[in-house]
Amino acid sequence: MAFVPIYIVILGFTIIVDYLAGICIEKSEGRKRKYFLIASLVANIGILCIFKYYNFINQNFSFLLHGFGLSNPIPYLSILLPIGLSFHTFQAMSYTIEVYRGNQKAERHFGIYALYVMFYPQLVAGPIERPQNLLHQFREKHHFSSDQVFEGLKIMTWGLFKKLVIADRLGIYINGAYNHLPQQNGMTLLLATIFFSFQIYCDFSGYSDIAIGAARVMGFNLMTNFRRPLFAKNTGEFWKRWHISLSTWFKDYLYFPMGGSKVPVPRWYFNLMIVFLISGLWHGANWTYIIWGGINGFYLIFAIATKKYRDKFNKLIGINKFPRLNLFLEISITFLLISFSRIFFRSKTVEDAITVMKKIITFKGSIFNDGTAIVIYSFMAIGFLLAVELKKEFYTGTFTLSNHKNFWVRNSYYSFLIIIIILLGVFDGGQFIYFQF
Amino acid sequence: MIEPLKKIFKRRSFPYLFFKIAVFFILLFLVDFFVGNIFKHFFFKQTSGWEYRTKYSIEDTKADILIFGASRAQQQYNPVYFEERLNETCYNVGRDGEPIFYSYAVLQAILQRYKPKIIIFDVDNAVFMEKQSSYDRIAALLPFYEKHPEMRSVIELRGPFEKLKLQSHIYPYNSLLFKIAMGNTEFNKKRNVDIKGYVPLSNSLNEPIRKVDLSSKYPIDSNKVNCYKSFINDCIKANVKLYLVSSPYFFQSTGSDTSIALAKKIANEKNIEFIDFSKDGFFKSNSKLFDDTVHVNFAGSTIFCNRLIDTLISRDHYKTVKISNDIK
Repeated sequence: MAFVPIYIVILGFTIIVDYLAGICIEKSEGRKRKYFLIASLVANIGILCIFKYYNFINQNFSFLLHGFGLSNPIPYLSILLPIGLSFHTFQAMSYTIEVYRGNQKAERHFGIYALYVMFYPQLVAGPIERPQNLLHQFREKHHFSSDQVFEGLKIMTWGLFKKLVIADRLGIYINGAYNHLPQQNGMTLLLATIFFSFQIYCDFSGYSDIAIGAARVMGFNLMTNFRRPLFAKNTGEFWKRWHISLSTWFKDYLYFPMGGSKVPVPRWYFNLMIVFLISGLWHGANWTYIIWGGINGFYLIFAIATKKYRDKFNKLIGINKFPRLNLFLEISITFLLISFSRIFFRSKTVEDAITVMKKIITFKGSIFNDGTAIVIYSFMAIGFLLAVELKKEFYTGTFTLSNHKNFWVRNSYYSFLIIIIILLGVFDGGQFIYFQF
Repeated sequence: MIEPLKKIFKRRSFPYLFFKIAVFFILLFLVDFFVGNIFKHFFFKQTSGWEYRTKYSIEDTKADILIFGASRAQQQYNPVYFEERLNETCYNVGRDGEPIFYSYAVLQAILQRYKPKIIIFDVDNAVFMEKQSSYDRIAALLPFYEKHPEMRSVIELRGPFEKLKLQSHIYPYNSLLFKIAMGNTEFNKKRNVDIKGYVPLSNSLNEPIRKVDLSSKYPIDSNKVNCYKSFINDCIKANVKLYLVSSPYFFQSTGSDTSIALAKKIANEKNIEFIDFSKDGFFKSNSKLFDDTVHVNFAGSTIFCNRLIDTLISRDHYKTVKISNDIK
């Protein structure tokens, strides 16, 4: 991952292409509309392919040729991946698709359209906005509102807390374990894998909160990107709570056009699997991401295919009579399944992921402890996160500190958060995980 | 208190916003000041642990011989042997995982207080390698920023906003909550064996020697090289006898490490002796003297320290010092 100023040209190119494509689509009729849309999509996906997937495809091509005893004459490109490329490319594509569908008027003001693609709070890691939600906000008059400023700052503070105190703190342990696989045992890797689920959630949702909060301070409303995915009761629900802007993007622009669920069952499963495989590829040009996508697609298909039998089984054992226990089990199983798939997300290679799984299955060894403080802080951070999210999920509107009526209680709570960030945050120049996508 | 003011300021207006922000920041400042000072009190009151050793090195030691470096200093040089055989006081100021920035900053603080007679600096392979983590590790010195202006230039290498961050009274104690709590307990003393800064290792390696190629190039951090040069210059200026040492490794190396080659070249230019044990055949043939491939254990340390002391005794300087001490 890197930021190279000259790469702004790539952004400029997609902005110009999509801006013109939007106007041309609106002005044209019949097949021409489709051609302009295709041209826009080809330009966007083409850039993604060159910068993100070219070397990956070439590498696999070499591997294939090597199997036949041939060498690959196609050279590799020595290029860096532009920061946030997948995010702003998808946002740009949603614009031309919506104009084509007639849900959005083409934007005539070049500056406003460019702002839609480059709106800085969400430029590098989303949320991936839709033109219907964002574009009109750039045309509206925004009056200063202290309430909005405070609301935005509160969201940003919580985002910073999640990133610096939880995600980066957990990252120290996870990196120690995953970057030295041969030295680690099963229990250590199991703990690191579970920690990773919390880390990636806090890292990415922390960034989203900062983006949403920064936009709110300026009077703009960005879409919600996370709805407490740690409390999802099944994998289907998880994807309705996790990276919502991307999940809905795939649903609207890939899953539904393929027929969604309104097709014969085998085709439905095929559609689901394709969406998840492409989602995996979106995250990175590596087989680990594709397998990660495949595992999640499998979870969903398996859940749908076995729902009837699972319901029968639950009735048989009488778990439904204990709703709280049932809920706890559902949430825990979903969390473990998602965490398991993330072994591929976190590992650098498929071989590494297999090594991690093999070691975890043994459940052997004592937990690696490079300084007791790291593990203690990590558990404290996770405990605090779960307490806050649990309250938001199940006890909405009851005891609240962040929005307490009393000025002093409210401000003391945010002072406490900031003090904890200063005291326990990790300030070592770490990056957001999703910047690389 | 807030309600009457709400009537004075029109709600949702700019002045109301600034008033609320001002109140919030005053509250934040007070909490930061109060909590930060509690941490400061307990940090400097510690009686054991790593932070205590750093504090002792910077503010208290008056030892004649000081040992500098990272883990290969802290865990290999036993001051007891230096004291017994050289009849001088000795303290090991090395700290595990700390880059040369740490050593240089600690030297600066020590030279403000007194001039040690001898400094031994353990120079590690890849000591000049460019690594972000080296800058992160400077965090160990943050609590001393306020009291020790001489260390500030090194601490500020952490990043362009470090000065700003250090306006907070809590920030210097970032991530130290647990360590400070432990450092103030008696239990910690029993847990961590510490012999005048030396932390012995007990594992015994039982494996055949491996071959390691050290010839591969890596980016060199000019800040680290400058610190190394300044370390040497400051010792020369203060008339402190400096010995640069590369301690034993348990691997058969091919090629030479870029940093060690550069360190030797600089030492040679400054006319400072570089004592190299890294290729010593005696240690290569005895894996049981090592805790791991880069650290000798307690038994290994005994042999290594005595061999190093033999070398020091054979040097003219030490003979001169010894004679003058005897005359006194």
